[in-house]
Amino acid sequence: MRSSKDFFCCAGLAFALFAYLALLLGAEEEWSIAAYVLLGVVVVVVLVALDVFSTIERLVQSNERTCQVLMVLGTLGIIAVFRTDHYTLFLLGTIFIYSVAVLGINVQLGYAGVINFSGASFFGIGGYTAAVFLQHTPTPPLVTLLLGGIFSAVVGSVLLFPVLRTSGHYSALVTMAFALLLKVFLEVSEWLGGPQGLALPPFKFLGINFAEDLVLFGNEYSFYVKYDLACLLLLVMTFMFVQRIERSWMGLAMDAVRIDETAAACFGISIKRWKITAFTIGNFVIGVAGALYSMMLSYINPSNFTFSDSLLFLSILLLGGIGSIWGVIAATAFMVVIPEKFQVIQEYRYLIYSAMVLAMIVFRPSGLLPRKPRTYIAGGLL
Amino acid sequence: MSKVLFSCRSLTMKFGGLTALNKLDLDINEGDILGLVGPNGSGKTTFFNVVTGIYRPTDGQVVFDGYDITGFSPQAVFEAGISRTFQRSRLCLELSIFDNIMLGNFKTHNLGILGNIFRRKAFHKTCAEEIEKAVELIRLLNPALVGSIHRPVADLSMIDRRRIEICRALIGKPRLLFLDEPSAGMTHDETNQLMDEILAMKSDERRLTIVLIEHEMGIIGKVTTRCAVLNFGEKLCDGTYQSIVENPLVQEAYLGQEVTEDEV
Repeated sequence: MRSSKDFFCCAGLAFALFAYLALLLGAEEEWSIAAYVLLGVVVVVVLVALDVFSTIERLVQSNERTCQVLMVLGTLGIIAVFRTDHYTLFLLGTIFIYSVAVLGINVQLGYAGVINFSGASFFGIGGYTAAVFLQHTPTPPLVTLLLGGIFSAVVGSVLLFPVLRTSGHYSALVTMAFALLLKVFLEVSEWLGGPQGLALPPFKFLGINFAEDLVLFGNEYSFYVKYDLACLLLLVMTFMFVQRIERSWMGLAMDAVRIDETAAACFGISIKRWKITAFTIGNFVIGVAGALYSMMLSYINPSNFTFSDSLLFLSILLLGGIGSIWGVIAATAFMVVIPEKFQVIQEYRYLIYSAMVLAMIVFRPSGLLPRKPRTYIAGGLL
Repeated sequence: MSKVLFSCRSLTMKFGGLTALNKLDLDINEGDILGLVGPNGSGKTTFFNVVTGIYRPTDGQVVFDGYDITGFSPQAVFEAGISRTFQRSRLCLELSIFDNIMLGNFKTHNLGILGNIFRRKAFHKTCAEEIEKAVELIRLLNPALVGSIHRPVADLSMIDRRRIEICRALIGKPRLLFLDEPSAGMTHDETNQLMDEILAMKSDERRLTIVLIEHEMGIIGKVTTRCAVLNFGEKLCDGTYQSIVENPLVQEAYLGQEVTEDEV
C-alpha cells in the first residue's frame, strides 16, 4: 500500500502547494498577488474538471502520516524562506494561532454541536490571564500558557448552565451576551488596564528570549521565527489532540449528541456530560492559543477580542468545513492571508467574509475540505 | 411458566387534554415476542416512549426485572437492559455503519480523556474487538454489508438501515428489545425477509424478549408468541394471536367501519 511511488507523488504535491504558498506570501505588488490568486483558482477549477481531486484524496488518505509530516516540513520550509521578513512571519504565526483557536471551536460546534459565539472572548481570557500572571508573579511563561487555558475553561463553566438549559438560537444568544459583557468588563476594569490593555513580557523558554532576534551561525533572523516555531508546535499538538478526540469513542459520543440527542440518550449517552466536555476542552484550547498570541503581540487590549473576531472564528469553521481539521487550517490561512495581502479590501473585510460564508452555505455547505467519515487509525483501514 | 420480565400497572400518559395511554396494564414474559397492535394513534409508540424514558408517565408504574424503573431517564433505562429501534429511522446518517452500531455499546467502554487520547494502543485494541463484534452481528442480518462497515449509513437502502438499527439495539446485549414498526417504508417482501432474520436471530438468543409494533396482521400471526391490542390508549385485550383475532372487541376496533358498511 505504501509504495515509494506514492511517497514521491505526495512529496511532489506538497512541494507544489508550498511553492505556490511561498510565491503568494512573497508577492508584494497587488497585480501580482491577484495573478497568483487567479492562478490558484484556475488550477483548482481545472483539477476539479479533470476529476483529479478524488485521486489526490485517495492518495492522501492512504498515506496520511506521510502527508502530515510533509505538511509540517513544508511549513518549516516556508518559515525558512521568510526568515528575515517580520511581517510575513507574523502572518504565519497568526495563521497557526487562529487555527488552534478554531480547532477549539471545532470541538465545540463541529463535534458536540455546542454553538459558541464568544470564541474571541475565551481567546482574550487566555491572553489576559497570561498577562496578569506574567506581570504580577514569577510564573514561567510555559505555565502561563496552561493557566490561560485553564482560566478560560473555568470562566467558560459559568456559561455551562445557560448553554445546557437552552439550545439552538437561544444558546447562541447566551454566548453573544457573554461576549459583550466581557468586553465591557475589560474596558472598565482599571486593574486590567481598561481600554489601553496590558503589556506582556516576551515568551521565554529554556532561557531563550523569544523577543530577541534569532542568531544562528553568525546570521541574524527575525525573532518571529522563534514564535512561529512555538506556534507551529502548538498547532501540531492541538491537531493531534483534536484528531484523537475525533478518532475515539469520545468523538463518536459527541457526534451522536450533535446529530440526534434523543437517539443518543436512548443508548445511554449522557447529553450533558458530552456537551460539558466539548465546551470545556474547546475553551481550554482557545485559551492556550490566546495566551501565546498575546505574548507574540506583546500587548493585549479589549479591541483584540471583539465580537467580530468571534464571528471570524465561526466563519473560518464554516468555510473550511465543520468538523474538518485540515479544512480549518486551510480556511484560516485563506481568511488571514487574503485581506492582509489585498490592503485595498481591508475595509470591506467583513463584507467579503459574510459574502463568502453565504456563498459557501449555498454552493458547498460542507465546506472547502468536507469532513470524512471517521476512521479510527491513520491510513483509514480500521 | 417462564417468569415475568416486564410489567406495567395503570400506566397513564396525558399530553394536556389528550390521554395517549390510559391505565395500561401489561405483563411480558421472558423470551416472549409480544406483538403490539392497534389502529393509528392508539398509543403504541407512546407506550415505547414512556417506557424508554423519553416521556415521563403521568401516572402508573413500570417494573423491569423486579426493579421499579418508572420515570427513569432514557440513559438509565438503557443501562437497565432495555433497547429499542425507532419508527422513523434515527440513525446518524453521516456516520459510518460501524459508528452507528457502536453507539449501542458504549456502556462497557472507558470514555475518559486519558484512555481515549493518550493510551492509543489500548484504544485500538478495544476498537478492533468492537469491529469484530459488529461484523459478527451484521453477518447475521446481511453479510453483504460486512465489507462496507466504514461507509456512511446515508448510502444504504431502507431495509439495510433497519438492519443497522437492529444491530445497534442488539450489540449492547439488551434483555428487552422494543422494535417500533420495523417494516415501515419497506415492501412486503422486504418485510418478510426482515422478520425471518429477526426470528433467526431470536433462535440464537433464546432469552431475548421482543416487543414488536406491526400493522400487518399476517406478520404478527407468523412472528409473535403473544399479542396485545391497544385502542385509544387502552388495552382491549391480550393473548395468543388466535384469541385476539377472534375477539369481537378487536374486530370492532379494527374492522368497525366494514361492519357498519355491511349493516347499511
